[in-house]
Amino acid sequence: MMQTRAGSSRSDALSHAYIQNPPIRCNIPETRGLFYDDGNKLLLSPTADQVLSWKVGVPSQNNPPNSDLTGEGPVLSIRYSLDQKAIAIQRSIHEVEFRNRETGLTFSRKCKQDSERILGFFWTDCPTCDIVLVKTSGIELLLYDPEQNSLHVVETKKLSVNWYVYTHESRMLLLASGMQCTVFSGYQFSAAAGIVRLPKFEMSMTKSEANSKPVLSSDDVHIVTVYGRIYCLQFDRVGMHLNVYRFYRDAVVEQGSIPAYSIRVAISTVDNVILSHQLDAKVVMLYDLFLDSLNPISAPLPLLLKGSSGSNSRSISEVSDSISSAYEGMIYSDNWNFLVPDLICDVENGLVWKICLDVEAISASSSDIPSILQFLQCRRSDPAMIKALCLAITRTLILERRPISVIARAMDVLVASYSNFLRSGSTPPATQNTGNDQSTAGSGVASEHAITGTATKSIIGDSSSGMSMHSPSTSDDEMNPEESEKLGDKSLESSVSQLLASHDTSVATSPDEMYLFVFALVEDEMSGDPAYLVSVIVEFLRSASREKLKMNPDIYLMMNQLLARSNQHANIALFVSNKIIEPSKEVAMQLVDFGQQNYKIRKLGMDMLRQLSLHHDYVSVLLQDGYYLEALRCARKYKVITVQPALFLEAAMASNNALHLAAVMRFFSDFAPSFKTTLDYGRYQQVLSELS
Amino acid sequence: MGVSSMAAASDGMQLQLCVFDLRRGQQEGQELDKILFFYPTDFPFLTQLSLVGLCEGIITFTRIFSPEAACEVIEAEKHSHVFYEAEPDIWMVLVVEKSKDDGQVWRCEALRGVLKEVHSLFKMFHMSIHALLDKKPSGELARSHLHSFITDYLSDYQLGKKMQMPSFRDSLKERGTVQMLTVSREVALEVQSLITSISSCCNGCDSLILFQDLLVSTTLPPDDTANLFSYATLRLTPHALSSSTSSWSYLRKGHATPNLLNVATLDEHQSRSRDTSQGQNCQISSIPRFLQRDKWSKGKDGFLVPNFPSGEVGSFVLSTPVVWNQQNDDCKYLCVYQHKGITVVMLVPASSLANGEQGLVQVKNKFLENVAQRVTAVEQKLSRGWGGENAYHVSGYRYLLIDRDRSVSRATPAGKVTTLKKESLVYLNKLREEVDIEKGRWRRDNPHQEKELEVSIRAENNAWVIAKVIRGKELCMVLEKANETLLYATDAVEKFSNRYCEGAFSMEY
Repeated sequence: MMQTRAGSSRSDALSHAYIQNPPIRCNIPETRGLFYDDGNKLLLSPTADQVLSWKVGVPSQNNPPNSDLTGEGPVLSIRYSLDQKAIAIQRSIHEVEFRNRETGLTFSRKCKQDSERILGFFWTDCPTCDIVLVKTSGIELLLYDPEQNSLHVVETKKLSVNWYVYTHESRMLLLASGMQCTVFSGYQFSAAAGIVRLPKFEMSMTKSEANSKPVLSSDDVHIVTVYGRIYCLQFDRVGMHLNVYRFYRDAVVEQGSIPAYSIRVAISTVDNVILSHQLDAKVVMLYDLFLDSLNPISAPLPLLLKGSSGSNSRSISEVSDSISSAYEGMIYSDNWNFLVPDLICDVENGLVWKICLDVEAISASSSDIPSILQFLQCRRSDPAMIKALCLAITRTLILERRPISVIARAMDVLVASYSNFLRSGSTPPATQNTGNDQSTAGSGVASEHAITGTATKSIIGDSSSGMSMHSPSTSDDEMNPEESEKLGDKSLESSVSQLLASHDTSVATSPDEMYLFVFALVEDEMSGDPAYLVSVIVEFLRSASREKLKMNPDIYLMMNQLLARSNQHANIALFVSNKIIEPSKEVAMQLVDFGQQNYKIRKLGMDMLRQLSLHHDYVSVLLQDGYYLEALRCARKYKVITVQPALFLEAAMASNNALHLAAVMRFFSDFAPSFKTTLDYGRYQQVLSELS
Repeated sequence: MGVSSMAAASDGMQLQLCVFDLRRGQQEGQELDKILFFYPTDFPFLTQLSLVGLCEGIITFTRIFSPEAACEVIEAEKHSHVFYEAEPDIWMVLVVEKSKDDGQVWRCEALRGVLKEVHSLFKMFHMSIHALLDKKPSGELARSHLHSFITDYLSDYQLGKKMQMPSFRDSLKERGTVQMLTVSREVALEVQSLITSISSCCNGCDSLILFQDLLVSTTLPPDDTANLFSYATLRLTPHALSSSTSSWSYLRKGHATPNLLNVATLDEHQSRSRDTSQGQNCQISSIPRFLQRDKWSKGKDGFLVPNFPSGEVGSFVLSTPVVWNQQNDDCKYLCVYQHKGITVVMLVPASSLANGEQGLVQVKNKFLENVAQRVTAVEQKLSRGWGGENAYHVSGYRYLLIDRDRSVSRATPAGKVTTLKKESLVYLNKLREEVDIEKGRWRRDNPHQEKELEVSIRAENNAWVIAKVIRGKELCMVLEKANETLLYATDAVEKFSNRYCEGAFSMEY
């Protein structure tokens, strides 16, 4: 059905998400456990006296690990500093060791053995502190001095903590306290806004039976960062659902809940899509919170293991076939550890998998094309592929002659997305050139750059600059300001918001691309129904005009062509007169050209030339039609000297009117000084004398 | 009521209108068969025959010199006879009396416009006269249809006892053209999109969208548009629905509408005088009379409800009016939806409905479900951007602008025209008459070469009366209390042209 889908169906099994083969292999003998340093995106595996590290996201085949000395001793947790100058190793529940990588100097920070325990620590890029130590008695904000290899306490916040969750992606720290661990204190440590303290809030838990109060575990609280917004998903084991909270600067707002179908649930986010893994049911459900909808995008389907993407996927998957077949049964096994945001760590086998979305499968699974386009336009991974997919879907929509109302919604989505893309600060591609440049690229869309990496900047309380995506639908536009008013326009934003704002490559489709890769291609295929295609283009123009986008004349040329082909000359006149077809030289010349069949259309073109002050062309067309006196008047008024006198004289002679010919002669003799010396002068002088 | 109408007819020396077929009644003694319609209906046959005889004679004679375009007008001392060949060999002649009463200054082309209009409306609703004659060679079908149709049409011109034909006071109007609403590009796109959705929910029907008495958009070719537009402004727009007076002539104030009873008696009268067979009566009374007033009313669902007796047209039994396209013999249901100022006229192809008129109910429901809301939205946008009745008034100017290529015109609003002095309008009428003659000359010389013309007249009442024709566009203008130099007049035209006509009439020297 759809061309792109055919090429990518690597597996017969249906799924919307898969883990990408090959995984990162960290199964080196004699390592003790596997840690994930999400601040540096490093996988860390300590051995007896050193730590091996793998960078995540780097092509992983034959990716030898780096190693650092750590010295002897147990490793409860380990993290590199964000500048990677130091390594912090938690040696026990009372001690964290700091090791300068250059000098190898170490020192330890210990806590009071009797009254408190260290729950964990993390490095931050917030301006006032470098490292945060979370203890049962509160948190300590510390500055690290690599030169001295020493720590200074910046601030201590006393509160009792049962456990905590933190993700570097969100810079959010949630501290659980209370009997049921449902009372939360939250802090955000961002580079831009420093430390933001959230109001205390409580998560709700369904009571199972009278008097039995369930205790919330840290495994059941997930901080999720999508579209630069920070959410928290809390799994309520008794109620069998996940409560969704959204964090604002000064409020935590419950958004509702999504169901759970398994007593073990894990959460990942891939490209701003939330994946809710139902571990027992061995299925995954997808949610897109862009429009604040808590409905799943598609039906629950299993997570698959797939070979590497690309055209040579077959061969690669054959090579690693052994792993695949062996591993397929291990999906959602008990030793899987879900890492933020989109990694799965198989501790037992020392494998780290990356979760990917199969956007093609997702888009093929729904018949609501406008919503699918909306979904695709919000994706940021592999923009070139997604853009090509969107274009293909749009083409199919038109070729299948779907109702115009559906097309209109699809156009609205695409145009609004492009308009948002422009508004978010990038310069639009040069409208004049893209036509020629990209036509060489064929039907595929060339991707200019790879996705830019995550910038590590957090923007709090400035949603206008940080939020690059605004909802295109009007209903949501009306809703958003209301919401932000209520919350003082202070939605908490995390570090990934800028991912959406990375402009070099975008899914957004410009009007030129729409023309080249949708309308022009579709026109070739559907010669039978020009009226339908005109209606489609009108819907596109309507969306574009609402967003005040500039159009290339090509699209109007095509419209004229279609209208002329279906003999709708009256419609051409209507469209030209109410400027649905915007005036341009190209359009005017085309209308003049069409005028061979229909003189009224030719006049439309001539009027357009006159209105655009294209006097040279106007005079030329007048002459072609034999209106030499009018042409002469116009030439004189606007001092058009680029049209050869011979053309006027020829036209005058064709009218067989000696008087007029003489007048034209006289005109040029008087106003073009050199005319008398030309051959024309002599020739027509001769003609005149013969006529008289 | 009945008396007044009858009286108008009997004292109707002032106006005669007849339709006759040159191919009929060729044998002596059967001349009456030529006549398909005659107004006043109770005119003595002998007088009718003498008029038709005169006209036929003139036509035959002038055809010797000009077979393509025979006689256009006979100007006698007391009467003008305006000719119009509606269909091959079918002629319409309008006779108006020239009276000393100075209200009676006409322009031939304007009167011919009346004939053209009634014929094209007739053709739209009842097919061509030829088609009706072919269907019933005896001519009774054509006669009965013409009779009711033209009688109803003429009722619009009735002013008290008299018939008021378009006079010099109407010289800033052009019958048969469409007046358009100027909309911004954004609204135009919105409207165009609305048209698409109308078409997709009503079986690919053509449609016409009007706002107040102005056309916004159409999917029909220009001639069909012009016809339907005149019908809509006569009988369908909110203005036409609310007023019992004609929507196009401000001259007619509060005249009485001939009621149905009266017309029925006329019908009987006519049919008896023509044909004594009894079967005729029921057929005549069953002809749907689309031009009769007060036959449309607004229903609760927003659709206009037609109240025509069902009759037979072709093979369709209907109460919903059916119209015929000019190009092909497609028959279409006329379906009208109105919301505040906006009127949507839809032509639903009869062939697209499986079970005839019943199918229309489904179409209407679909429309209400899918489109009605969008109509409301578009109406809001249009009324927000509308400048009111005097939107196209340009202060200091009294103008008429015609684009012949698109059959579109725009003019000073009627209320503002009345402020002109009578002399100015009489001059303009005269000037337009001259322009008509000149244009006729061009047409005969070379129909493909468009010429230019510009006349500026300084009238006795210190007004400039100006006519300008440039490549299919025409501009008529009256500037009262104007400076006396010609330069002033041309300057005024230039300014107007640049501001309101995109420079179409600008001087190029």
